[in-house]
Amino acid sequence: MAGKIVVVTSGKGGVGKTTTVANLGTTLAKKKYNVVLIDTDIGLRNLDVVMGLENRIVYNLVDIIEGKCRKEQAMIRDRKLSNLCMIPAAQTREKNCITEEQMKELCSNLAAEFDYVFIDCPAGIEQGFKNAIAGADTAVVVTTPEVSAIRDADRVIGLLEAAMVRQISLIINRLNAKMVKRGDMMSTEDIISLLSVPLLGVVPESEEVVVSTNRGVPLVHDRSSKAGAAFRSMAARLDGETIPLDGNSQGIFGRMKRLIWN
Amino acid sequence: MLGILRRIWGDGASGQVARKRMQFVLMHDRIDITPEMMEALKNDMIKVLSRYMEVECGSVKVDLEQGKDFMALISNVQVKRVYRHST
Ligand SMILES: Nc1ncnc2c1ncn2[C@@H]1O[C@H](COP(=O)(O)OP(=O)(O)OP(=O)(O)O)[C@@H](O)[C@H]1O
Ligand SMILES: [Mg+2]
Repeated sequence: MAGKIVVVTSGKGGVGKTTTVANLGTTLAKKKYNVVLIDTDIGLRNLDVVMGLENRIVYNLVDIIEGKCRKEQAMIRDRKLSNLCMIPAAQTREKNCITEEQMKELCSNLAAEFDYVFIDCPAGIEQGFKNAIAGADTAVVVTTPEVSAIRDADRVIGLLEAAMVRQISLIINRLNAKMVKRGDMMSTEDIISLLSVPLLGVVPESEEVVVSTNRGVPLVHDRSSKAGAAFRSMAARLDGETIPLDGNSQGIFGRMKRLIWN
Repeated sequence: MLGILRRIWGDGASGQVARKRMQFVLMHDRIDITPEMMEALKNDMIKVLSRYMEVECGSVKVDLEQGKDFMALISNVQVKRVYRHST
């Protein structure tokens, strides 16, 4: 059976796409799935440093597509997990040097070998975005609880629907529970009702994310990390498990508490 | 600092302000109607209405509102006088 092809996208830049790809991919690889991550942010690659694999790059995505190497030659194996690998983006090329057709073909070739193909999408809705979503059957839209990120997420959801990407779910990243509590940040429920797509999960604003990026070791390797736990349960949900959303501002407990208090 | 901002912008949780603003913005984004088009729609409506009645042009408001499952065009028009025979 062909693997799942998941594009992680957002419209707005800097909201956590690369972080999400690294952590969801690593979690699923830890569950023994064969996973490949593709960085499609041509010219602005970052997945390599977030994964701590920047020293091993020889070939890249564009080299595969232009036939300068076999795809196996461009895949970099993870340092800890032998069933996880990454295809880096080209750093000195432009986004329109590959086409949607070429991406589609590569994705379906990869899905024949891997259980999960994750695509790290560039910010924006231009050619880079179109390439990134071309081969995907599933989309994870990342937003933060801010107006500009939400507006861009809504736009991207519209474009995904128009491109017939059927399975769309939402990650709310960098939620600050304290600010939500005092009413100065939109809550999970507010955002879901605005965007009306199913929620994959919520990641708290966390210093751990910065620390793990500094080290080039995805957060989910750290069992004690809260944000890591959020990514682990999102990966499980993506994998079809039903895991309740935890109670600290969303989910059934949060709602119950509010019903009782009000 | 936040206290000062609160005083400047008036009280009220900014999260709910954001939610309301986004409801409006997303609705307009989704239907792709620009403020100029809304203005043109309003003027056309006034033109049509004026064939049947005299309306207070300055009072005319046209808004799109998002219900749970549908979108509604809501308009408030102050009518001064209805013509007996349409002109
Ligand atoms: N939950 C979080 N808490 C704190 N910092 C975060 C969180 N998520 C992401 N960040 C930080 O935000 C920055 C951007 O994250 P990331 O690179 O994953 O975003 P991106 O959407 O891939 O950006 P781009 O659009 O530039 O590709 C990084 O410095 C990251 O460490
Ligand atoms: Mg990125």
